[in-house]
Amino acid sequence: MQQPKLKSKVRCTDRDIGEVTKVVLDPLSHEISHIVVSMNGSGERQVGMGHVQAVMEDLVELRAPSSDIAALPPFRRDDYVTTHEVEISHLEDNLHVTPGEVLVPFPALEKDVKRRTFFMNFTHVIGFLIGLPMAYPILRFLMKPMYMPFDNEWLQVGNVSKIKQDDLGVQFQYKKKVKEAYMPESEVEKSVWVLKASSEVRDKVYQGKDQEFRDAFGKLIWTNKKDFPYIAFSGKCPHLGCAFKWRQHKTLGQVFLCPCHLSIYDASGKVLDGPAPRALDALPIRVSASGEVEVVDMEFKAGVKSQIRIV
Amino acid sequence: MEQPSVPNAQPTTVEKLILFLDARVGLKEMQAKMLNEPIPGGSRWAYVFGSILLFIFAMQALTGILLMFYYVPTADHAYASTQYIIHDVDYGWFLLGYHFWGSSAMVVCVIAHMSQVFLWGAYKPPRELLWLVGLALFGIVIGFGFTGYLLPWDQRAYWATTVGVEMVDKVPVLGDFLARFLKGGPTPGQMTLSRFFVIHVMILPAALMALAGLHLFLFRVAAPAGPFSGTPEEIKAKTDYFFPRQIWKDMVGMAAVFATICGLAFWEPVVLLDEATPDPGEYHPEPEWYFLFYFQLLRLKIFSGEFGQLMGAVVVPVAFMLLLIALPFFDKDPERNIFKRPIALITWIFIMAMIAIFTVSSIINREFLD
Repeated sequence: MQQPKLKSKVRCTDRDIGEVTKVVLDPLSHEISHIVVSMNGSGERQVGMGHVQAVMEDLVELRAPSSDIAALPPFRRDDYVTTHEVEISHLEDNLHVTPGEVLVPFPALEKDVKRRTFFMNFTHVIGFLIGLPMAYPILRFLMKPMYMPFDNEWLQVGNVSKIKQDDLGVQFQYKKKVKEAYMPESEVEKSVWVLKASSEVRDKVYQGKDQEFRDAFGKLIWTNKKDFPYIAFSGKCPHLGCAFKWRQHKTLGQVFLCPCHLSIYDASGKVLDGPAPRALDALPIRVSASGEVEVVDMEFKAGVKSQIRIV
Repeated sequence: MEQPSVPNAQPTTVEKLILFLDARVGLKEMQAKMLNEPIPGGSRWAYVFGSILLFIFAMQALTGILLMFYYVPTADHAYASTQYIIHDVDYGWFLLGYHFWGSSAMVVCVIAHMSQVFLWGAYKPPRELLWLVGLALFGIVIGFGFTGYLLPWDQRAYWATTVGVEMVDKVPVLGDFLARFLKGGPTPGQMTLSRFFVIHVMILPAALMALAGLHLFLFRVAAPAGPFSGTPEEIKAKTDYFFPRQIWKDMVGMAAVFATICGLAFWEPVVLLDEATPDPGEYHPEPEWYFLFYFQLLRLKIFSGEFGQLMGAVVVPVAFMLLLIALPFFDKDPERNIFKRPIALITWIFIMAMIAIFTVSSIINREFLD
């Protein structure tokens, strides 16, 4: 059935009773639920769509006599709000109460414009040409500090007299000078774990081979000899980069334990338990005649099986 | 028609101003449209979380802007300036505490809001886009938390960032680039602080405002979903407008959240740990409480080794988000009643239980570390 239109005549089974002055909409179904009829000026009546027999171009036929409609209670305008005063989504999709099209004149200058598509695409090209020379500079701008050459300086971290017992993790805290971009030079606190290793532990670490350290160009920096008693481990856990500690474990004895995700390593750095993917990272170490320990501060990528140096 | 009490009275200046503005921008229609949104089935306490989130964000923006009057985002001053806010600036402890606890409230209410939408089946067609924009907003809230707690530059900040960025590093192919990009170098330092600061105070707020606007727009276009049970007649009989009943409930919710955050800021003030340094001393690194369950999850044996870490740090969270993104596209069953959607109900209970169990077990684990 067509939707009833405003100003349509309303005809009962016996006679015309006026015209449609308003329509009432169901806000959930978006269907017209009632029409409001003028009753030829003697008070408006609200008529449910159930009373409607047929809807024609400008006529609504009801299936009741005019006396039945006149007997309905008068229409109460205060019970309703207009659709402008309330948000009803997709109203236009469902409702066609406007009696005809609403038009505005089309400007004369717009009538014969050719190459609309060309101008549209031209706009996009100009936008692209503005964006293109910006993209690479922006990327490079943000990438400036990301990659830095490795620093292979030897750093003094303490004296071996601090180590009282073999195969015992001893933390050496030291200060490292850093100069970052525009910042004033500052000192950060870092730490390495040094142990005086027994021959069994040394065998586990070096597996019978000297350990070589090379710089970014493959040039040899240092070799840790397999029979040298002191071993230094980077303080960074190879799991996700936290700092591990030397702890008493109730079943495993003295171990390196990372408090973050509970990776556990023995004195040789081998993984005993927890999520770590590789053993602790041994660093280049040398000890002077007076017992001063020096290391090269290196950091390796966490979370991977192989050692990949990043600092 | 109501008669004015004094016939032919001249309008007051305020009334003239309102008429002037209304004639030019249609204020009254705008206000009517904002307030008179029909809520199928009527207002409910369950619907308060969206408004509360908007309120929390407004307060975070306010307190955040105020904190920037004193905070300095440099590695040599961030810690000192935060301490200055806490100890020397009048009510600095309160505004920082509010901002700190406000972030927790944000996470709690996001979870509540998402749970409500999930349990009510309100993500189903035609509200897929609304759900997707909501997920993006969820990501932004997590991003706020992660970038925010680096800023005080204390030990918690430093180690949470170290671990978080190492997890980004596990992304296949791009991971190394992304991690360095976030850190602005091989290790956390000044560049990291600068980047996190810009992300926290410029990029994320802009993104959140744009997406929250889109979220509201899509919500209005799609119209509220309403209750998941009841006949159309029952729902229609109970329908009311956004104003006043729902707004009243929203206001009560906001007041309760405000009081809770103020109480926490007062009784649990922010205490900074030692200044950030690559040597944690006796500190046991731990993330913010709402990341604890995930932190504990990564301790599991199944996430050990290189492959396990890829699973734990990348595959599991990405797969979870993808599942949430795909949800409205494979769950097209129009049934919205949660009691007739056993898989959805069990899944939700399972996820909430897992979060609770892993959070509690990580707290229990603390004892064994000391």
